[in-house]
Amino acid sequence: MKRYDLIVVGAGPAGLSAAIEGAKRGLKTVIFDENEKPGGQLFKQIHKFFGSKEHRAKIRGFKIGEELLAEAAGLGVEVVLNAAVIGLYQEKEVVVRIGEAVRHYKGDAVIVATGATENAVYFEGWDLPGVIGAGAAQTMMNLHGVRPGEKVLMLGAGNVGLVVSFQLLQAGCEVVAVADAASAVGGYGVHAAKVARTGVSFYLSHTIIKAEGGDRVNAVTIAEVDERFQFIPGTEKRFEVDTVCLAVGLSPMCQLLKMAGCRVLEIPAKGGQVPLVGTRGETSADGIFAAGDVSGIEEASSAMIEGRIAGIAAAEYLGYAVNAELEAAIAENEAALSELRQGMFAPGRRGDMVEFTDEGIHVSVSLLKKGYVNDEEIARFTSASETPGFRPIIECTQNIPCNPCRDVCPRNCIKVESITALPRLNEYNACSGCGLCVASCPGQAIFLVNGDVGGGFANVTLPYEFLPLPKEGDRGVALGRDGQVVCEAWVSKAQISSAFDKTNLLTIKVPAEMAGKARFFKSKGAV
Amino acid sequence: MGAVERILEREFVPADDDGVVVCRCEEITKGEIRRAVHDGIFTMTEMRRYLRAGMGLCQGQTCAKNVKALMARELGVPPLELEHATARSPMRPVEMYVLANEEVAD
Amino acid sequence: MSNTSDVIIVGGGVIGNAAAYYLSKKGVSVTVLEGSADIGHGGSSRNGGGVRQSGRDPRELPLAMYGIQNLWPGLSGELGIDTEYTPKGNLRLGKTQAHLDILRKLTDRAIACGLDVRMIGYEEIKSINPYLSDEVIGASWCPTDGHANPLTATLGFYVNARRLGARFISGEKAVKLQKVKGRLRKVVAESGVYEAETVIVAAGLESRPLLNTVGIDVPMTGNLMECLVTEAQPYLFDQMLGAAEADFYGHQSKHGSFVFGGSSGFEGCTLDKSGLLENYEKTAPATCRGIMRYFPDLKRAKIIRTWAGFIDVCADGVPVLGNAEEVPGLVIACAFSGHGFGISPAVGYNLAELITTGKTPVDISALRYDRFKAKI
Repeated sequence: MKRYDLIVVGAGPAGLSAAIEGAKRGLKTVIFDENEKPGGQLFKQIHKFFGSKEHRAKIRGFKIGEELLAEAAGLGVEVVLNAAVIGLYQEKEVVVRIGEAVRHYKGDAVIVATGATENAVYFEGWDLPGVIGAGAAQTMMNLHGVRPGEKVLMLGAGNVGLVVSFQLLQAGCEVVAVADAASAVGGYGVHAAKVARTGVSFYLSHTIIKAEGGDRVNAVTIAEVDERFQFIPGTEKRFEVDTVCLAVGLSPMCQLLKMAGCRVLEIPAKGGQVPLVGTRGETSADGIFAAGDVSGIEEASSAMIEGRIAGIAAAEYLGYAVNAELEAAIAENEAALSELRQGMFAPGRRGDMVEFTDEGIHVSVSLLKKGYVNDEEIARFTSASETPGFRPIIECTQNIPCNPCRDVCPRNCIKVESITALPRLNEYNACSGCGLCVASCPGQAIFLVNGDVGGGFANVTLPYEFLPLPKEGDRGVALGRDGQVVCEAWVSKAQISSAFDKTNLLTIKVPAEMAGKARFFKSKGAV
Repeated sequence: MGAVERILEREFVPADDDGVVVCRCEEITKGEIRRAVHDGIFTMTEMRRYLRAGMGLCQGQTCAKNVKALMARELGVPPLELEHATARSPMRPVEMYVLANEEVAD
Repeated sequence: MSNTSDVIIVGGGVIGNAAAYYLSKKGVSVTVLEGSADIGHGGSSRNGGGVRQSGRDPRELPLAMYGIQNLWPGLSGELGIDTEYTPKGNLRLGKTQAHLDILRKLTDRAIACGLDVRMIGYEEIKSINPYLSDEVIGASWCPTDGHANPLTATLGFYVNARRLGARFISGEKAVKLQKVKGRLRKVVAESGVYEAETVIVAAGLESRPLLNTVGIDVPMTGNLMECLVTEAQPYLFDQMLGAAEADFYGHQSKHGSFVFGGSSGFEGCTLDKSGLLENYEKTAPATCRGIMRYFPDLKRAKIIRTWAGFIDVCADGVPVLGNAEEVPGLVIACAFSGHGFGISPAVGYNLAELITTGKTPVDISALRYDRFKAKI
């Protein structure tokens, strides 16, 4: 039987990283993945990642996927696609369906990095065509270039729901609403804010009552729920839609590990059933490791680190790594992982109601309830420009482990003291208006304001990731954080630059008193 | 695993949304699942066997969590007390002629 | 709640549940102790669903015939649960002359016991089941055989016994039988001690160590066998199928899926390190190859699940059933050797009669626990 030192199941962020670390240390390594394209979720993730340089922050997910694939190929890792592992039998026998045959392989070590599957919720009509998982919508759009529908309601205001809502908007769909049964937005506020400022309404404490339709869904009704998640009659709201996206969480896909006899535990904070793993991803079964979402739902950034650790641990298990090197490499990765697990959204704080930022600022309630920081609250986080010229306005209001804005500024205008700290401007404003911070912020939460461009007008530079990109001279309206029209606006500049990595910068001219409010632009025709 | 005396004190109370399908593959409704609990079906494995909920093409990948929550509510226990059903190969549906065709890997 | 009842049944499988049901119907108070978390954990939920008389040993054939004549036809109605009982005949297939010789012998033996079974040739086989491959040259045909759904039947007995007042305790593994003043009285389990006038041990393979605690040994061994099921398919046929060498069996369920059992030839030697009833990687592919030789048209049906289960194989291939007089109060029902499901209603019914009247409608004396003799 064909035998490998290391068999990795799943070519996503965790699996690829694990294979790379194994192969680096001389392990004969193969990855099996059931999909026709590698990368797992990475190739669907067209947004820029949070974190710091070590976590490949500000690089888009698919780009990271390409880098990992190239690195794996360079190290001689075999990546076998369209290869569904159908069983992990005793003695680490991996049975794989490839084409029209099943093949048996032995791995001296096996790393299971199968990721997660989308949760479902049931309501009247949830089995109609057109009710789909948000991940499925993402796959259709970002892997296959197919728009899932024209008018979409998103159920779920966690990161998946928010990110996919934004991508639906980018794909040209109308997102009629984002609803969530929880009383507060669960995902990053910056993800919510970039959706809300395009005019999408948020309905927290709301759930779907029913979907209607014949051959496919044509309407959906949501209603408010009380603290016990019971719906309140009389609060129904009906939307005509052709698509309902469900983004109601993920469940680790640990069936292979269960089949292999690994002990699993049910841990709600990790998303459900997960294998019992040690700090190096080792399961209760000898030589079988787990990494990534399969051992607890987190971000792709953490999955990559967990994968690396498991890959190194597998090398050690097979005698390919010396202990000292192993310890150092693991310590380095563990430090990177622990950085990612800090802040308001740390896995250990899931579900906590946070009232103050680490800086002692009262968090924005509007952000949690409506998806945007309102005009009154934003003053707690930013200050109006007092000096003439350019000034970055950083509307980053939650403690998230992320710091590309600091690293990218050529004049060191931005301070991020600890990785989760809110960015602060240096007292001396040396901003040249280069816009790198605007383009690099994964949360699209930085705006450049030039408070006085003459005639009582100001310029506001926005990150803009929609097509077509408005042209200089276009007329339109500026929308506020809440997505409502605040004033007329003119495009004074539209910048595309490879340094901005596809986040184009749109500079609009607005009445000076609106500079603190105008955060999105719609050209006249679109209003 | 401790001893479980199979007693359920509460009566079955019909609900308006009992007709909603919970297991899509096998078209099992909320009402059927709730009623089965009152029939004495106390574990997820038994529920699969009794109603086929979670036994279809997706093998419970979609509905297991919801069936579990529903059963737990009906039993009046935290969902954590219910064990998921066993994971069984093949992890993905495989045509018979493919499973039959074992290629010896070189 | 008092831990005393008229009868304790050790084992919440189809045999124990059927007995619990028929006893409860007669007003007998019953406590069922199931060692695992799930009712029907063992072979009851893992078998292929055959309800056959043909091919059975003459010692157990009367039970099979009794069940098919008296119990199975009304069972779904009586339990209010669809057991999917389908008495549309059993084809036991042969592809070689050697197969036909085996089938002929089994058939002659069954005819002698009064069963309506006969050998049929290619043409008649094709008229009964046109989907069979041309490799099949002959078969035995028993028109009164059939199949049922072991899952709903097992749980159907359970649900109804429970409704009638039987007490079920799962996760309660019986570890010791205890006599009081010469009569079996107590069952010591992991969490409690239970008392009764009569104890039925119907715990499959687990029966052996438990019976050992009162000095009785049933010679049996575990054989891990596997089944698989396809996704639901359009209706093709409704007979139960078997093969001369007993290496293939199956049927199409009412739901549309095909349930097949087969073997790889490694049975008895497969690895089960964890004791978790693990599937053997070579078995499902071998079963698929076997099925396709009989039913080439099923090649594109998707296999969605495989599973394994222990058969409690008795030294002489038939169950141990009835009173163990040397331990008054003990009734044994185990070692069904892979063909217990089809006779389970009859076994449950006869056990209930035995306990309440001291007599059984079917003569089960050939299945006594003390029948075993060395061959020389």
